[in-house]
Amino acid sequence: MLNIRRIYNGRWRHKKKKAILFIFLLFLVFVRFAKGSFYKDFYYYISKPFWPGQFQREVISSSLDQELLIKSKQLENDNKRLREILSLQRLSDSETISAAVISRKNGSWWRQIILNKGSKHGVEVGSPVIGPGGLLGRVKNTSFLTSSVILLTSPESKVGVWIDRVQKQGLMVGTGNDYPKLTFYTKDVDIKVGDFVSSSPASTVLPPNIPVGIIQSVDANSNSNKTVNVLLLGKPQAIDWVQILKMKI
Amino acid sequence: MDQFLKRNLSIISFIFIPILFLWHPNWLGIMGIQPYWPLFWLLPWSMIHGSINGLIVGLFLGIILDSISIGGGFTQIPGLMLCGIWFGRFSKSDNVVVSHFKYGLICAIGSFLCGSFYFFQFLIQEFPYNKFFLFSPSVKNVLAQVFLTGLLAPLFCSQLFGLFKRSKEKMF
Repeated sequence: MLNIRRIYNGRWRHKKKKAILFIFLLFLVFVRFAKGSFYKDFYYYISKPFWPGQFQREVISSSLDQELLIKSKQLENDNKRLREILSLQRLSDSETISAAVISRKNGSWWRQIILNKGSKHGVEVGSPVIGPGGLLGRVKNTSFLTSSVILLTSPESKVGVWIDRVQKQGLMVGTGNDYPKLTFYTKDVDIKVGDFVSSSPASTVLPPNIPVGIIQSVDANSNSNKTVNVLLLGKPQAIDWVQILKMKI
Repeated sequence: MDQFLKRNLSIISFIFIPILFLWHPNWLGIMGIQPYWPLFWLLPWSMIHGSINGLIVGLFLGIILDSISIGGGFTQIPGLMLCGIWFGRFSKSDNVVVSHFKYGLICAIGSFLCGSFYFFQFLIQEFPYNKFFLFSPSVKNVLAQVFLTGLLAPLFCSQLFGLFKRSKEKMF
C-alpha cells in the first residue's frame, strides 16, 4: 500500500506573505493617519530639481545682479567724473596701505595712534585712516618709517560729516572723550538717535561715504544750533591693523 | 662699559622717558589715562641737581614730548619747566615713610600743575569751537592723572633717586 502523504512545503512562505501584508497594512494606516505627509515630504525632495520657475528665478537673479553691477560701475564712473570736475577728494587708484598700530594713546590729552608706515611707504599728511568699522582719523604727520594719526576723538579733530537720512551736513568735533560732538548750524534738523553718520560727499578733506558712527544722543540744551553725540564705529582702543587711504584731488 | 653705564645712568634713563610715553601701557592706566611719566624722572633728578638744572631738563623733556605727541599749538614745556624749578628746592627726608609720601604728594601736585596748564591751553585755543564740551573730559583727565602719578611716584622716584645719587657720586 502506498503511503501517499502530501508534504506541505509552502507554509513558511505563506507566513511571510501574511507578515508582509500586515506590515503594508500598518504602513497604509500610518499614511492614513499622517494624512499623507510622508508622501508629500518625499515628493518635495524628489521633485525639487524639476520645480517650475526654479531655474528661471536663478536666471532672473543673476541678470539682476549683473544689472546692478553695471549700474554701480556707471554711477562710480559718474561720481569720479563729477568729483574731478568739482575738485573734490577721491581715492587714488592704488587705494590703500595696510599698517600696524605701534603706539596708542586713546584715553588722555593726546588721542593719537602711531603706525608702522611712513613717508617711505608713500603715506601722506592728511590721508584718512580707517579700521574695521569705519573712519578712525587722519594722518597728522609722518616720519620716514612711521606716521602719527590724530583720532576723531581728539579735541583737535574737526571733520565734515553727512547724515544720509536727512541729507544734512554737520561738523564733528572731538571732545577728549569717546563721543565726539556733531554740530548742525541750524535748529531745524530732524535728527534721531540711531541715524547713520558718514563722511560728507562734499568734503575736500575726506573721501565720500566712509562710515563714521551712529547718533547716540541728542543734546536738548543747545539754542541756535543742534548738537548730538556720536558713537564711533571704529574703535581705536581695540584695533591693531588699519588701512591708510591714498587720496588724490 | 659697566662704569660708563653707571656714570651716565641719568642720561640713559632720560632717553627711555619718551619711549615709555609712547608705549602707553594700558594695564597701568585708569579709564585709558596714564600717569604723567616724565615727573617720575624729573623729581629725583631735580632734587639731586637743583632748580636751575631742573629748569633746563624740564625744557628738554618738554621739547621731546611735544615733538612725539600731536598737540597742535599746545605744549607741555611750561608745566615741566615750573616743575623742574620747584622740584629742585626739595631734599630727601631721612624717614623712609615720609620720603615716600613726599614723592607721591609732590608728583601729584606737579601732575595737577602740568595737567592744568595743558587744559587752559585747550580752553583758550579751542573755546570758539568746543565751548564747554571739553570741560568734563578734561577734568576727568587731570584728576585721573593726578591720582595715578601720586600713587606710583613713591615706587619709581625712590628707585631712581637711589640710582641717580650713586651715579653722581661715581662721577665725582
